[in-house]
Amino acid sequence: MPIKQTSMSEQEIQEKQFVIIGAGPAGLTAAYELAKHNLRPVVLELGDKVGGLARTENYQGFHFDMGGHRFFTKVNEVSKMWHEVLDGNFLRRPRLSRIYYNCKFFSYPLKPINTLLGLGFWESTCILLSYLKWQVFPYRQEDTFEEWVTNRFGKRLFQTFFKTYTEKVWGISCSELKAEWAAQRIKNLSLKTALISMFVKPANTIKTLIEEFDYPRLGPGMMWKAVQTEIERNNGVVQLNSDVVQINRVGNQIESIVISENGNSKRIEGTHFISSMALTDFVKRLKPEAPAEVVRAAERLKYRDFLTVCLIVNKPDLFPDNWIYVHDPTVKVGRIQNFKNWSPDMVPDVTKTSLGLEYFCTAGDELWNMSDAELIELGKREVQQIGLARYSDVESGCVFRVPKSYPIYDSDYRDSLATLKTFVNGLENFQTIGRNGLHRYNNQDHAMLTGMLAVRNLVLGERNDLWNVNADQEYHEEIRVDAELLSADVVESLEGALASVFLKLDRVAFGLSLGTLSGLGLFLATLILLFKGGDVVGPNLELLSHYFPGYGVSTAGGVIALFYGFLVGFSIGWGFAFLRNAAVFLYAAAVHRRAELYVLRKFLEYF
Amino acid sequence: MTDPEKKLDEIVLTRLLRLNAKVQGLVTGIVLGLVIFVATNWLIFKGPSVGKEGQPVLGPHLGLLGQYFIGYRVTFLGSIVGFVYGFALGFFVGYSLSSLYNWFVNRKERS
Repeated sequence: MPIKQTSMSEQEIQEKQFVIIGAGPAGLTAAYELAKHNLRPVVLELGDKVGGLARTENYQGFHFDMGGHRFFTKVNEVSKMWHEVLDGNFLRRPRLSRIYYNCKFFSYPLKPINTLLGLGFWESTCILLSYLKWQVFPYRQEDTFEEWVTNRFGKRLFQTFFKTYTEKVWGISCSELKAEWAAQRIKNLSLKTALISMFVKPANTIKTLIEEFDYPRLGPGMMWKAVQTEIERNNGVVQLNSDVVQINRVGNQIESIVISENGNSKRIEGTHFISSMALTDFVKRLKPEAPAEVVRAAERLKYRDFLTVCLIVNKPDLFPDNWIYVHDPTVKVGRIQNFKNWSPDMVPDVTKTSLGLEYFCTAGDELWNMSDAELIELGKREVQQIGLARYSDVESGCVFRVPKSYPIYDSDYRDSLATLKTFVNGLENFQTIGRNGLHRYNNQDHAMLTGMLAVRNLVLGERNDLWNVNADQEYHEEIRVDAELLSADVVESLEGALASVFLKLDRVAFGLSLGTLSGLGLFLATLILLFKGGDVVGPNLELLSHYFPGYGVSTAGGVIALFYGFLVGFSIGWGFAFLRNAAVFLYAAAVHRRAELYVLRKFLEYF
Repeated sequence: MTDPEKKLDEIVLTRLLRLNAKVQGLVTGIVLGLVIFVATNWLIFKGPSVGKEGQPVLGPHLGLLGQYFIGYRVTFLGSIVGFVYGFALGFFVGYSLSSLYNWFVNRKERS
């Protein structure tokens, strides 16, 4: 929860001059928020258009979304801003995505029957056997992503559906990829989320959210252009093609920024600075330099890049998917977007289709260094190989490179980030935001939220922790929807009920209670018969002596019955509590596992 | 992962269950009462068996409950009396068991 520290006077606020580095979702959202406070921010953007990682490129009138951005959020402020800016320009689109592997297409999210049928009898048998093997003999430690997924799906299915794609995206072997990177989110799947998802049946609205999404008519760039217009209408400045070459600081304050604009240097003064540039680049540009350990930490942060080969195909319809994950190792492409299926308006000519072939790479590697012509050629060959379009039907194409698209969570990143965080938090008039500014794998909506919170920190004196804007939330989004559509009261009472049902029964206490009652019960039963008397006292109760040696319907027998009754009652009580706890544990584990697998089945979506 | 999200996990892992004595008493009472009621009527429905000396005998063993439940017999009226006794005994056992259990658990958690 944000802590509101002090509220500044209107005059104090107006005296501030805000400079924002980066016109991506985070930076533009920050500027938009400032404009709402009647402030006039200056936004500096390196590229020739706004939108950053969520920009929309244009080629021959065709619009290309760099990555495919679904507009779906749980953050109310973000949703409000989207509709404030683009109301009427959103399309509700059906969602379809599949996996291409071994010359076949598989439903995504994975469906067990479809998957097994698609793979064929022999491969399915191998997968099932492999699954059973890894259930019986799992890895004892789950340090890597490979080990973590293998323990849940078996090695064979891991190799089929996780290995190639994950390695294409991250460029390193799954055995080197720390389980922490991905599995922490699933490991942390809370019991509450899992249980509530089991108990609450999804409503139609949830189904709708999962199977459909909102999308701006002309791609996400349309949103950011509209935000730019709005900022400029409020006398803010969005300056494109501005390369920040130096960031001047005096002690713990940023004082000014030097930009290079068409070869000319220009100094921009400000009282407050917000940056969405990659932390590595930010630290590099500081003058005087940051302390040596900070510079080293910044250099240790790594990023993954990607490039999109855009192809225009002379066919009205190619395939029904919005995008296809390409797991097949025989091609280099990782994901294929069909922009016409995102929005028909992305394509100006109904007789044609535009595809975006996404290649994950690292700046400077073989793919990155290929010429545009070579990449287009590669793209044309690969769409034909996959069977999506004929080589000869591709009439033209272009290439867009997107550097630093994914912050890498390697084994060093956590320590490096901690050092950088301490340093950056020490800069009094500065906030770092966005995916690369925080080195956090935030989606568009969470990047926007960091921009909003940064403004609140600087303008209203709040102390929101931007580093903790929860990217993990996305991973449980659809499961969580169930619970979140319920009223707070219902969730609270459901939680209370779950807490009371799933607690452990204390074995000893339950044994002692049942033992005490059984002992006393037998003791009293014996005494009652003794008290009633008769020629033969309690011949039937005395049959207990078959089981309780020494027992008889007498005072001494009553004491012995007390002892035996306690022993038997204790054993039954203890055993009952043990079995009941085990059953509850197994049930909770099964529920948790089911939710875990549900998230994992949809895992690729979060790459 | 936010703290509230983890709350249930922590509770489940660290706290012990408490039983609701009244509910437990009520449930045990109803179950025991019904068991006696059904068992008695089942014997009535089956009809008497032949005793050692050829005389008809109806539920000689269940009838022994009459030693403790004054007024109980293997008759329809007896089954109602049995239900009342069974309910009372069941309620007492369930209530006492839960109260005792809660008492033990409270002591354990305090120590």
